Amino acid sequence: MCDALTLSSAASKPQKIARPERRQARAGMALFAPALILLVVILIFPVTVAALLSFTDYTLGRPGISWVGLRNYVDIFSGSSYRKMIVATVLYVLIVVPVSVFLGLGAALLIRSLKVGQSFYKTVYFLPVMASLLAMAIVWEFALHPTLGIVNRTLAMGCGTPVEWWSWFAHGCTEGFPLWLGDRDYALYTLAFIGIWQSFGFNMVLYLAGLTSVPSDLYGAASMDGVKRGWERFRLVTWPMLGPTTVFVVTITTIRSFQVFDTVEALTHGGPAKSTYVMIYAIYQKGIAQNLVGLGAALTVLFLALVMLINVAQRRFIERKVHYQ
Amino acid sequence: MTHRFSARQTLAHLLLILGAVIVLLPFYVMISTSFKSPAEIATGTGGVFGSQALFTDQSCTNLGGTEADCLVRPVIDNYSQAFTKAPLWRYLLNGVIVTASIFALQTLIAVPAAYALAKLKFWGRDAALGLVLFCLLIPVHAIALPIYLMLAKLGLTNSYAALIAPWVVSAFGIFLMRQFFMTVPDDLIDAASMDGMGEFAIIWRVMLPTAIPALLAFAIFSVVAHWNDYFWPRIVITGDRSLFTPPLGLREFKGDLGGDFYGPMMATATIIAVPLVVAFLLAQRRFIDGITLSGMK
Amino acid sequence: MKHPFTLCAMVLATVVATQAQAVEIQVGYAYSATFDPTFERMMQGFSKAHPDIQVTFRATYENYEDATNTVLREAVANTLPDVSFQALNRQALLVERGIAKPLDPYIAREADFETDGYHKAMLDLSTFDGAIYGLPFSVSTPISFYNMDILRAAGVETLPSTWDEVIAACNRIKVNTDKEPLYWEWNISGNWLLQAAMWSQGVPMIKDGKLNMDNPEGLKALETAKAIFQDCGMKNVVGGDAAKSLAAGDLAMFFSSTAYVGFVDRSKIGDWEFVTAPYPGINGAPQALPAGGNSSMLTSGSDDPEVLEAAWQFIKFATSGEGAAAVALTTGYVPPNKVANALLMEDFYTKNANKLTAVNQLPLLSEWFAYPGDNGLAVTQVIEDHLESIFVGDAHNMEELRDDLVEEVNALLPR
Repeated sequence: MCDALTLSSAASKPQKIARPERRQARAGMALFAPALILLVVILIFPVTVAALLSFTDYTLGRPGISWVGLRNYVDIFSGSSYRKMIVATVLYVLIVVPVSVFLGLGAALLIRSLKVGQSFYKTVYFLPVMASLLAMAIVWEFALHPTLGIVNRTLAMGCGTPVEWWSWFAHGCTEGFPLWLGDRDYALYTLAFIGIWQSFGFNMVLYLAGLTSVPSDLYGAASMDGVKRGWERFRLVTWPMLGPTTVFVVTITTIRSFQVFDTVEALTHGGPAKSTYVMIYAIYQKGIAQNLVGLGAALTVLFLALVMLINVAQRRFIERKVHYQ
Repeated sequence: MTHRFSARQTLAHLLLILGAVIVLLPFYVMISTSFKSPAEIATGTGGVFGSQALFTDQSCTNLGGTEADCLVRPVIDNYSQAFTKAPLWRYLLNGVIVTASIFALQTLIAVPAAYALAKLKFWGRDAALGLVLFCLLIPVHAIALPIYLMLAKLGLTNSYAALIAPWVVSAFGIFLMRQFFMTVPDDLIDAASMDGMGEFAIIWRVMLPTAIPALLAFAIFSVVAHWNDYFWPRIVITGDRSLFTPPLGLREFKGDLGGDFYGPMMATATIIAVPLVVAFLLAQRRFIDGITLSGMK
Repeated sequence: MKHPFTLCAMVLATVVATQAQAVEIQVGYAYSATFDPTFERMMQGFSKAHPDIQVTFRATYENYEDATNTVLREAVANTLPDVSFQALNRQALLVERGIAKPLDPYIAREADFETDGYHKAMLDLSTFDGAIYGLPFSVSTPISFYNMDILRAAGVETLPSTWDEVIAACNRIKVNTDKEPLYWEWNISGNWLLQAAMWSQGVPMIKDGKLNMDNPEGLKALETAKAIFQDCGMKNVVGGDAAKSLAAGDLAMFFSSTAYVGFVDRSKIGDWEFVTAPYPGINGAPQALPAGGNSSMLTSGSDDPEVLEAAWQFIKFATSGEGAAAVALTTGYVPPNKVANALLMEDFYTKNANKLTAVNQLPLLSEWFAYPGDNGLAVTQVIEDHLESIFVGDAHNMEELRDDLVEEVNALLPR
């Protein structure tokens, strides 16, 4: 299954005698060993500990610890918020991944087509990736203040102009523009917007890199075959050649969106009415903030199960597409 | 080069400028805020750079200064507070130490592992790759507590080691480098091998030079992530704040209900973003080539 | 710093070892921006009074939640500070986990403890199972913030003293002005103002370890919340944003902690008249109100009697006399200490009348309840979630909501 992730089109050739299999096997294991040991100690072991803790009532600072079986899991599923948690998490990912991948690709194509100003746009679009999310969250809070923020102030300038034919806008003019972070109909989308803002520059850069690797003679060949129009050219040449990049971009973006945390913690604390109660925030709130370590650990286990499930499904799906071409 | 008028080019520029305006909006708010007085910030007035009228600095009167002593220009006050309230130079230095150490160690671990995964056949290779991909999924928040407990048992909390050790292995780095190494032709390795080079020499003398652009790409991602990391340092650094990394400088201006001091906070945010932006501008060209994963020439 | 690159723990160890004559204590507190000036000011006096005690301040906690969690983690790592300032409602947890040490032995040795301005109501805030585990440092009470210009424009002549009057005033503001009428910070610290609604009727939120809301007062508290949310069209923003609107002159009435006074003073734009007043009651003036803020606790992991004594001296200095007065001088909080307030009464409070409201409410000061057991913090969340369901319009029948809340909370509390 991992072969689908090979971003190279260069298929590996049969091994030559120069590097006998035995030597490769020994060297391979030796070279991977440090990483293996560290991955196990730093990541796998703590996850295992978390998995074990999920069956206990452990809490920091109290000496005792007792086995509670599946109670933490039962608590999660019998509570009212777990469904909202899954909805918020999945919805966020479903919005952010396609939009930020699409925008990243769009920006890359547009920028590549420019005669001047390429590096200016590259830098600008990459800025959000470099900014500290914490500082940016505070800035967004300013910008989204219901009456004093720059966003709603800018919208209010449109009042009394023809934009008011849009009934949503007219409503905003009379009743006030939305509380972007305080209204459960908007809060998750607002966070998703910020997530896209933050991540599409990353995808743009990956696509720019992918585009430079499309051999230009392919376009020549395509144009000889009568493929002249931009869209056809994109569909028949560029897009298939970007397949491996897309796999990488989608994988990384999905993982990152599942792990959204900073903006939620800084801006909404999972609210209003649990509409932005994403899983990582729930893990943090239960396991760290409320010191219910066992419950937080149970959520971690569920989170990993969910992400793995989606990851495998996604890979199966993409694998088919990529192999197709 | 002729710059003939082209409708298509103009349209592309228009779209990109519109996007740029939206992308830059928060940066505009950040920088503009760092110029303003508290009242202008709280009420969203003051235009782009604030009126720069003198105002009474409350943290100065709180210490017993008279109103006349404490009159300051907003922009000067914000930036000087960023450096005086918190030892920001120290934090920036810590940031450099921590991010550089993390990146160096990550490279040391990830490059051989990635090479092994990409170019060597060994027992359990697929499982090893699966493990790396699984590790990619693990969120730090979920394992923060067990790692903290491990560090506590070793007596390592409140140390550079605590800031660095948990990050020395990067699943992302291994994955990215492996993807790159896959594109290096086997012939190159075979030739080196026939010249009598050992695997170690092959990695550092043959593979790494070809992989410099990819490594640069990984460097930017790693440095950005750890330079800006706010979550982990505040978990492990509970005692000595001279070990803080740059984003924790923002905490200096957190108040409770009395309100955060946004002016100096945004000044701090601006200052800590500058080194990264400069680094990006310097590295930009090679960096983007670097992630050209199949772009071997 | 002599050894900037040595591990922190080692530095601390060497500092302690090499400075045998001066005792070093470590102190942790939350919210840099608010309390840095307080401690800087206090240290001017402390180092004069106790030149032999060297106080090292640790990295500040980001907030009260962080304060408790940090100390819990430090307990595991064995790196506890000697003195830690913790939110009043987090004290119980640290007592239960054996991290905070009782202060009674030290108090017993003090000859003039009472004349130093400590009094029973103040000590009660930190008394658990008959022992005193902390001395309250900076306290807040809920108060009312008004924009008098808007109230006058709306034709509201007298300041409201009950919630019914607040809602009547709100309706006049809605009719007569285009300003936002009110904001009640219902979710501050989860349920602080719901506790205020219970206390103001003279009823504690917890009784015999159970949620004490299955009574008419509990229902009345929720009905009042509903009236504030719905009859008044309050906006769902966070407290900080509402405070900004108040500072900008866009909000008429704001109900929350006195700690906001500092922010409004600093950020106020325009020359509208800003006035604070007592917190509204339910059917008359409040009979009691929950205390907010933090207290200083002895959390030292040291066995050295000198260190412990030094820590005690610091705690005492911070909570009495000029040390405690620094709280009022630098923040929106007030010190609970009587002598400290008397020091300030003539000069400071006459100039800063908006800070006096909380001082006047000090006699009403009552416990800010923490919920017992491991689920304590989760209970707070459950209550906040229920309140929110009124706010967003999901809950209509307050009696059902109350029964549901009582049942769910009691299931989480220890039996």
